[in-house]
This record gives sequence, C-alpha cells and structure tokens, in this order.
Amino acid sequence: MMVPMLFLVLTFAWILSHMMTVSPVTNRLSGLVEPEFIEAELQRIGYYDPWYIQLGAYYKNFFTGNWGNSYVIRDGEPVLSFVLEVFPRTLELMIIPIVISPIIAVKLGLSSATHKDKSRDISIRTIAIFGAGFPVFWIATLLQLFFGYYLDIFTYGKLDLPIMFINKPGLSAPVPDGAFSTGFRIIDSFIYNDQIFLWDTIAHLFIPALCLTFVSLASITRQTRSSMLDVLDQDYIRTARAKGVLEKDVINKHALRNALLPTSNLIIGGTATALLGSFFIEVTFAYKGFGYYMVNSIFAGDYLVINGLLVFATIILISGTLVADVMYTIIDPRITYN
Amino acid sequence: MLKITEQAFIEDIAHNQSKSLTKEKFIRFLRFYLIPGWRDPEFASQEYEAEKIKSKRRMFRRLLKPLTITGFVMIIFILTLAVYAPWLTQYRLGEIISPYYPPGGNPFDDPSPEHPFGTTKYGYDILARLIWGSRTTLVMAAIPVTIAIGGGILLGTISAYFGGIFDYLMMRFVDLMYAFPNLILVIIIVPILGQALLTSLVIYGILFIPYNIRFMRSLVLQVKQLEFVQAAKTGGAQKFKVMFTHIVPNAISPILIAFFGGAAIAVLGLAGLAFIGIGDPTVASWGTDINWARASFSNFNAAVWPGLFIGIIAIGFMLIGDGLRDALDPRLNI
Repeated sequence: MMVPMLFLVLTFAWILSHMMTVSPVTNRLSGLVEPEFIEAELQRIGYYDPWYIQLGAYYKNFFTGNWGNSYVIRDGEPVLSFVLEVFPRTLELMIIPIVISPIIAVKLGLSSATHKDKSRDISIRTIAIFGAGFPVFWIATLLQLFFGYYLDIFTYGKLDLPIMFINKPGLSAPVPDGAFSTGFRIIDSFIYNDQIFLWDTIAHLFIPALCLTFVSLASITRQTRSSMLDVLDQDYIRTARAKGVLEKDVINKHALRNALLPTSNLIIGGTATALLGSFFIEVTFAYKGFGYYMVNSIFAGDYLVINGLLVFATIILISGTLVADVMYTIIDPRITYN
Repeated sequence: MLKITEQAFIEDIAHNQSKSLTKEKFIRFLRFYLIPGWRDPEFASQEYEAEKIKSKRRMFRRLLKPLTITGFVMIIFILTLAVYAPWLTQYRLGEIISPYYPPGGNPFDDPSPEHPFGTTKYGYDILARLIWGSRTTLVMAAIPVTIAIGGGILLGTISAYFGGIFDYLMMRFVDLMYAFPNLILVIIIVPILGQALLTSLVIYGILFIPYNIRFMRSLVLQVKQLEFVQAAKTGGAQKFKVMFTHIVPNAISPILIAFFGGAAIAVLGLAGLAFIGIGDPTVASWGTDINWARASFSNFNAAVWPGLFIGIIAIGFMLIGDGLRDALDPRLNI
C-alpha cells in the first residue's frame, strides 16, 4: 500500500509544481536575460518534452537522489542534503510533544472522567478547551512576548547558566568539519560530548516545545475523557465492582485499557498534528526547521525546495500511518488487515 | 306530534350509537387480548404525539447545559458584532483596510480616547478591526465548511451507494489526500491561485472534502442495508431518488453536527494562513492583526485581542458542536 501511495504522492507533487507560475530557469540564470540562453536552457532541461517523459524523469531523479538544486534559499545547494539538514531540527521539536503530551494528557483525562462534574473535572476541561480553541501561533506569540519582553528571561544573553558554564554567544554545532553528523543537535552534542551546546539547545527548545505540548494535550485529554466515561458505563465495570475489585484496579486495569483504544488513534496519529503545529511554531520563533523554510521558499518562489519539503513531510506522514496500523494490531488483536 | 317523533328519532340514533360504541370497544378489547402485538391505532397515534413532545423536550433539556449555553452566548456575541458593526464603531470599513493608510497614523500607539485599544500597523484602530473582522471570520467559518460538507455528502453518498470500481477509486483518492498535511497544502496552493479571500476559502473547502467523504460513506453504508431502502428500490424508485430522499436524510445528522467542529477548525486554519502572511491583505482579518503585532512589542493589545476573539469564536463553535452531539447521542461525552 505504501509504495503505490508514494507514486501517487509524487505525481500530485509534480502536478503541483507544474501549477506554479514560476519559470523554472529565469531565477536560476538571474544574470542572463538574453532569450536565446533561456530558450536553450529550457530545451536542455526538457521543458518542452511531453508530460509522460517529464513525469518519468521526475520519478527517475527522485529515486536516484537528484532532487534538484535550491537557487534562492541556499544558492546552488542540492535539495536533498538541504532537506536532510532541515528536517532533523523539526523532528527534534516534534518528538518532545509526541512523547510527553500523551503521558500527561491520559492522566488528565482519567482524573477528569473519574471526578465527573467536580471542580477538578471543570478545570481540566477548561484547560483542554483553551488548548483546542485558541490558535497555537497566538499562544506562542504571547509566550514569546511574556518570557522574552516582559519577564526578560529567555532573551539573548539573559539565560546563562553561570554556575555550570560561561555564557557563550553564537554557539555552533560541535561537529568538526567533515565528521559524521546525525543532524539532530541533541544527539550530536552527546556524540561529541559538548554540554554547553546541549543545554543551549534545550533552553532554545523549551518554549516552542511547551506550546506544542499544550496544544496536542488538549485533543488527547478530551478524547480520553469521553471514551473513559463511555467505558465506565459498561456492564463489565459494574461486574468488576460487584466482585469487589479495588477501585484503583477497576480504573487502571479494566477501564483504562479499553478506553485507550480510541485514544491511541489520536496518540499515534498525532504526527500530523505535531507537524502542523510545529509549522506555525517555527514561523513564530524563527526556528529554522521545515516550516520556516517552507514559508520562506513559498515567498521566494523556490519551487524545488517546496517540492522536496512537501514530499519529505508526506513520506513522514505515510510512515506514521504505517506505524499506526501496525501498532493497532498489537494494541487490539481483534483488528486485522486484509 | 312532529316534535315528539323527531325527539324520539334523535334518541333512537343516540341509543344506537352508544350501542355501536360499546360494541366497538368490546371488539377492540377482544382484538387487544386475542391478536398478539395489536395496538389501537387511535391510542398509538396519541401516544406517539406525546412521546414526540417528550423526546423533543428531553433533547432541549440535554442541549441546555451550561457549557452549550456559553457556546451560544459566544457565537451570539460575535454575530452581534458582525451585524451591528457600523453602529459599534466610528470607523468605516474603508478606513481600516489596506488601500487606505490613515494620514499621520501612529502605528502601535497606546490606548487613547480615539483608539480604545490603541492602534496597529499603519495606525489602524484595533477595536474597529476587531469589530469589522467578525464579519470576515463568520464568512471564513461558513463557506469552507459548507463546501467541504456539501461535497462530502454528495461524493460520499454516491461512492457508498454504487460501490464497485468507482468506490475503490474514490477511496484511493481519499487515501492520497490523507497522506498530505492538509493545511500545508492549502498554504502552498493559495499563493499559486491568488490571495483573494474567496479563493483561499474555496481551496480550503475543497481540500477538506476527503475527510467528509470517508465519514459520509461510513454513515451511508450503515443505512443502505435497512429495509426501507430495499422497499424503495423494489418499488422502482430511481437511483438518485433513493440516494437523496431515502438514504441521505436518515444518515445526515452526525455529519451536520460535524459542521460546528469543522467551522472551528476552519477559523483556526484560515487565521493561521493569514498569520503566515498569505491572507488577503484587503480584508480586516484577525490573523493578519496577530501577524502585524508579532513584530512589535510596544502595544500589548495589538496581539492579545485578535487572538482572544479567534478563541471566542472557535471555542463557541466547539461547545455548540459538543452540546449538539451530547443531545443527539447521549452515549458520547466530551
């Protein structure tokens, strides 16, 4: 299922880049304005070929790793290496909410469902609906204003960790030239044993990750609460209580496991939410990941970069769906895929 | 003489009627006791009316919960702003949108008597932009969701009803659209086709059709098996008549409730579009306000109020959607 889907996605991305009104060569040959040169370049790259030959060339270049070169965002850098440089940063930002928020949200939803209509339930629901209703970029902007401008903690040169290190402005990745690099800054600083860079990275990730966690928290909490209430009405819960099972065990063993089935849908499928949330967060905080460069390349008209980023994001989403399908069968053995 | 005979005649009729009434009553009892499952049609219809009123009352009682009422109040607040916009602010719409730049305008000014919340970029009044922006936002909520749900109902019903190769192709198309991050696709396509408000709304609506196709398809597949559909088919009804007069009205209510949740998501998504800077610059949009205020720290109001209003309308729609679903399907609680 995944391979034909990949071909469909590629075709769609190809149609999309055909729709863009940017001329494929004028920006790249910015110095040359003679029409003969432009015409010759168009002939060379196969602009006048029939569509099936163009599509075939697109597939061939995609699978041989030739994704074209960026010409506005990064002058002449191959798109593939650019994407591989940019995406680890976004994944680093996404992985924190994806891991942390289900843990907190399931707890919150559970206590909200077991204390239904009490003050705890009402406060948790209020927080959840605030996270779902207010736009993530607004929360991010306010946090940025609050911490960066009014409280004046997370601004440049403010948050130093003087007990442990000297505050060093203008840090760069601790990777020596030509050495192996994963692209994930946290992993890199572990590999090359650079604590200052590690803490600097974590301090920079703190507020963006907080925003993302808050937003993805909301939907999971609501879903957990609703399915938990649904399960608590079932007959087998009454049976368990009548048997004399401890209330703790009724909640944790009988109810929660069944209530988590619909919630796992959201937790595993949270990749899309996190990707989209990180899109706005990155634009707000000028965090140089996928979303930031996507918006920049849209404004600059760098269609090869747009294409590469979109295809890569889609590949991540498709693999997320695949992982989700496999996980469902592990969580709930009744589900089978033909 | 004549009078007496007339009276006797009337008495006679009355006697006969009462006799026939008791007779009817007796037959009714006989039927009730002897025929299993027999119900008096007159009594059944009375009971049906009473139950209908009762269930309606029950639905309203379920609907009128504090949270749902809060949602209604929020939406009515925004509606009031939208309807009475010219009376609520002294600024006309033309004075706070793009082609007009106020002469001597002081951008990001502090609150003053002329500008209760201060000013935003180019010296536009924040309060006026909030009030006029409610119209834009309500349009943003209505049009994309109408397109998305309308298209979903149409294509989903046809796909589920006909089945076969058409259904297969439709589902593969839906899978393809599921593979893409939807809002990012909107962000890519909108600059290609032009930034006018209506264009972005239509694109947004079209790209969100696939979700509703899958939803509507699952609903129709449940209803399709029921007897009345078989009866309509056997009676020789045309295919589209079966689909849109027999199946759709019985399957439609969950997807109509999804309208409100969809509206909240559409408002948030389109505000995000405007926030990135791809929104229409010639309308008063709250997302654009936040985008402008992001760069400036001097007036706190410029960033806070637009987001608060987006939150009010989105939460209002969500609460109404939750309340309606609770009222119609009390088994689910969110």
